[in-house]
Amino acid sequence: MVNKQKLLMAAFGMLLLALTLTGYAQSGASPDVYYSTYTTDVTILKQYYVPDTTGKKVIANVMDGLIENDRFGFYAPSLAESWTHSDDFTVWTFQLRKGAMWVDHSGKAREEVTAQDFVDGLRYVADPKKTKADVSIIKNVIVGLADYIGLLQDYDKNRKGAREDVEKKFDELVGVKAIDRYRVQYVLASPTPFFESFLVTEIFLPLNQKFVLEAGIRYGTSKEYLLYNGAYYLDTWQRNKEFVLVKNPHYYDKDKIAIQKVALQKVADSATNIEMFKRGQLTSVSLAGNQIAFYMDNPKWKDFINLSEKSSVVFWFFPNFRSKNAEFSAFIQQESFRKALYHAIDRLILAQIYNSYDAEEMLINTILPDDVIFDEKGNDYTSALQDLKDLGKGTYQPELARAYFQSAREALVDAKGMIKGVKPGKVKIGSLVELDIDAKLPIQLVYTHGTSTDETQMALLLKANLEQVFGKENLRVVLAQYTNNKYETVILPGYYDLCYDSFSFKYADPFAQLGRLVTGGEVNDGGFSVPEFDALVAEASSKILLSERYQLFAKAERLLIEGGYILPWESGGGTYGMSKEKPFTAPRGGFGLSRFKYKGIVLQNDPVTKDEFEKLKTEYLKELEERKSIFNQ
Amino acid sequence: MATAQKKTPAKPRTRMKRFFQSYGFRRSWQSALTVFLVLFFVFVLLRLMPIEGYFTRQDYEIMTEAQRADYLEENGITGNPVVLFFRFLGNLFRGDLGMSFRIQPNVEITRILSEKIPYSLMFGIASMGISLFFGFALGMAMAHYKDRLVDGAGTLYVVVVRAVPSLIYLFLIQIWVTGFFNIPMTYSSKDPSTWFLPVISLSLASIAWYAIWLRRFMVDEENKDYVKFAKAKGVPQKRIISGHVLRNALVPLAQYIPLQLLLTISGSLIIESIYSIPGMGGLLIEAIKEKDNGLVQSLVMLFSVLGVLGVYLGDMLMLLVDPRIKLAGKTDGE
Repeated sequence: MVNKQKLLMAAFGMLLLALTLTGYAQSGASPDVYYSTYTTDVTILKQYYVPDTTGKKVIANVMDGLIENDRFGFYAPSLAESWTHSDDFTVWTFQLRKGAMWVDHSGKAREEVTAQDFVDGLRYVADPKKTKADVSIIKNVIVGLADYIGLLQDYDKNRKGAREDVEKKFDELVGVKAIDRYRVQYVLASPTPFFESFLVTEIFLPLNQKFVLEAGIRYGTSKEYLLYNGAYYLDTWQRNKEFVLVKNPHYYDKDKIAIQKVALQKVADSATNIEMFKRGQLTSVSLAGNQIAFYMDNPKWKDFINLSEKSSVVFWFFPNFRSKNAEFSAFIQQESFRKALYHAIDRLILAQIYNSYDAEEMLINTILPDDVIFDEKGNDYTSALQDLKDLGKGTYQPELARAYFQSAREALVDAKGMIKGVKPGKVKIGSLVELDIDAKLPIQLVYTHGTSTDETQMALLLKANLEQVFGKENLRVVLAQYTNNKYETVILPGYYDLCYDSFSFKYADPFAQLGRLVTGGEVNDGGFSVPEFDALVAEASSKILLSERYQLFAKAERLLIEGGYILPWESGGGTYGMSKEKPFTAPRGGFGLSRFKYKGIVLQNDPVTKDEFEKLKTEYLKELEERKSIFNQ
Repeated sequence: MATAQKKTPAKPRTRMKRFFQSYGFRRSWQSALTVFLVLFFVFVLLRLMPIEGYFTRQDYEIMTEAQRADYLEENGITGNPVVLFFRFLGNLFRGDLGMSFRIQPNVEITRILSEKIPYSLMFGIASMGISLFFGFALGMAMAHYKDRLVDGAGTLYVVVVRAVPSLIYLFLIQIWVTGFFNIPMTYSSKDPSTWFLPVISLSLASIAWYAIWLRRFMVDEENKDYVKFAKAKGVPQKRIISGHVLRNALVPLAQYIPLQLLLTISGSLIIESIYSIPGMGGLLIEAIKEKDNGLVQSLVMLFSVLGVLGVYLGDMLMLLVDPRIKLAGKTDGE
């Protein structure tokens, strides 16, 4: 009897304790909905072409590829469980996991993801009529792909016979095939040890052919006309309003998904964003322009502001080697003048316009970003250019710049003060500006800038900077303005003498950037031609051993920088923000879609403080080093 | 309806004749003709736009010249504009406005509109109801207590609302009011607490508009001889106001009400933007900016048809409110 009573009391006590504990656990639980905002609307959502960040965020989370980057940036299995490659890195075989499903917008499972879906994906990407895609980066990587695309283009020009006949050639021409239901194989045109870095991009995403055929031109126009295989499915897509991503109940890795729902709302004004964050209606917010200074000085919020990681995007200046401005044209051919420019531009002052607190950290002295490409020993590619990196902001050396200018002047200006080979006259730089060429010093240098406050401020600073270093009697900066698209209205027609732009890095090989800077290359906007550089790039890209390959690429890159053909300026990314996202839990990757994934992210109740951030950063870097050493063994 | 005033029923033929000669009939066919001409000219003028706007961006880039020409012909862009126009009218009656090319590539324009219009319409009508009620109430109060405290306060409100750029006070209202009541800053269809602020914000300017004009017209009327006469005759003040002054003062305002009601469809650029309402505000501007010719065409046509219809209904409403207008017709010399 007594025992029974005791037992009952004990049970009651346990119950009470359990209740308190669950109650406690609930109140202390971390949030599981990610609230964020966006400003530009997504017009169409096809997985192979997502030019804007909002589209990338959605696609990265609703679609998985063969592999992905983990939070350290290493390649990790995704839809492929494992993969192998031939010794010469030309044949890559991926073993898919069984039971990965395509789901629809209500989270209902439709069909299994099979090897054929990856073949069909590439078939879709290769057809310019089906989708726009950044196919140029893999065109020459996969066997026969360039030929197949060429055939389709020819057909579309001449239209002889049936297009289907050309389309059928895909299977025999292009080096991709489904060996069986769960194995897909890619055959590459040349040894490509860095092939994995292509696989995290949108181009290698799978596609459910049957569904796409049924949807026709409506594919990607609304949530009903898309199928999903990622950690989330698209539950709501209302243009001009919101995206809601809901956790996919059939996802293979669902235990690792802490965030149950992602709600992205369109909010036009950044001030509203911050206000919403302060009231707890958003998970994270980024600060821009004046807001940074305002909140950095705000005692209540300054401790929560952290700088996000730099991206692999690099901003660089490039002179125009085809300028119509004869004075500038004559000088830019001189290496000493290019070196003078390299040492004359005060990059730090210019970077401070965009980031007044950590501008120096944003500067970059190489064409390729740090911490993205590693050789087989785990050495960073850019370590071969350490001397350039060590210069930091010290590339700005006005004395040296003047000395270089003096030697260019001696070579080009004759005793009468005339610039050799330049005829006086008037020249129009498009409709932007008209120059009076007098064939005498000062040289006129046309700098074309956008109309925003920052751009204008930067142009004025650059003008003051160069005129101060060289003296107005030697060089005069002529400012011109463009209003629309910079690439189309300024860079392409060559309406500038000196210009900068941002360049994104597409896959893990120096060729991604240097290969496009050769004579006539895709991003060789200034139009220079350095045969020695071209030869080095060609030689480097034929090497399979990474350390050897990178050595040659580094040599080539040095040529461009020291020769003053490309003047690296600063890194992209590095924005200030406040967030309740636990730092370093998100996937990381210099290219591709993984870094836009919410997979793995853990949220906390309060915004991350500076101290927390620094502490986690140290821990993270330590862990990263350990991982690297394991990886290299 | 113009014959409703006649006391003895006229012979059918005279009634018919009178109908055809009436003001109402004349306004009807004039409006129909205007609508037709507007549709025609918008249609023809849009054929002169740069042709990129008839392709999705991707299609335009990958097609060759010849393919583009074929495509334009297939889709009724090039060819005899008159023939094309009648084909377009045929499609229009079947409810087919074509596709959007740039804003929402490969989505039917009717679908875009049917998704967006309800938001603008709901907020617009709610705000118009509020504006009419409060605007008239304020206007009447201001007229009644002319040169007193109410009038002064009302005038202050009107001046502030009309003189201060709306963006400033709308934004401040959003921040302060949502902060004070602790409600979400942006609109959500699931949370009714977010519905009020956009409606109130939309109403502020129109309340001021109705109030100031009603006050003005009422004050004008009150100074007229017939009112003085009625007062002298001993008609109660209440009746003078409701039966005479208010009715006459409403006449010039009534004309605009249908137009304003119909054009609520076009939405509000600022308010929809700050509260993230996916309505029609800014759609036309965006379509023009993106050169989405199909969408521009549909929107311009929609707005102009509604504009003409609004003016027409306004005139018809005047017929009801103001008996004098019926007599203004050419033949109505009785």
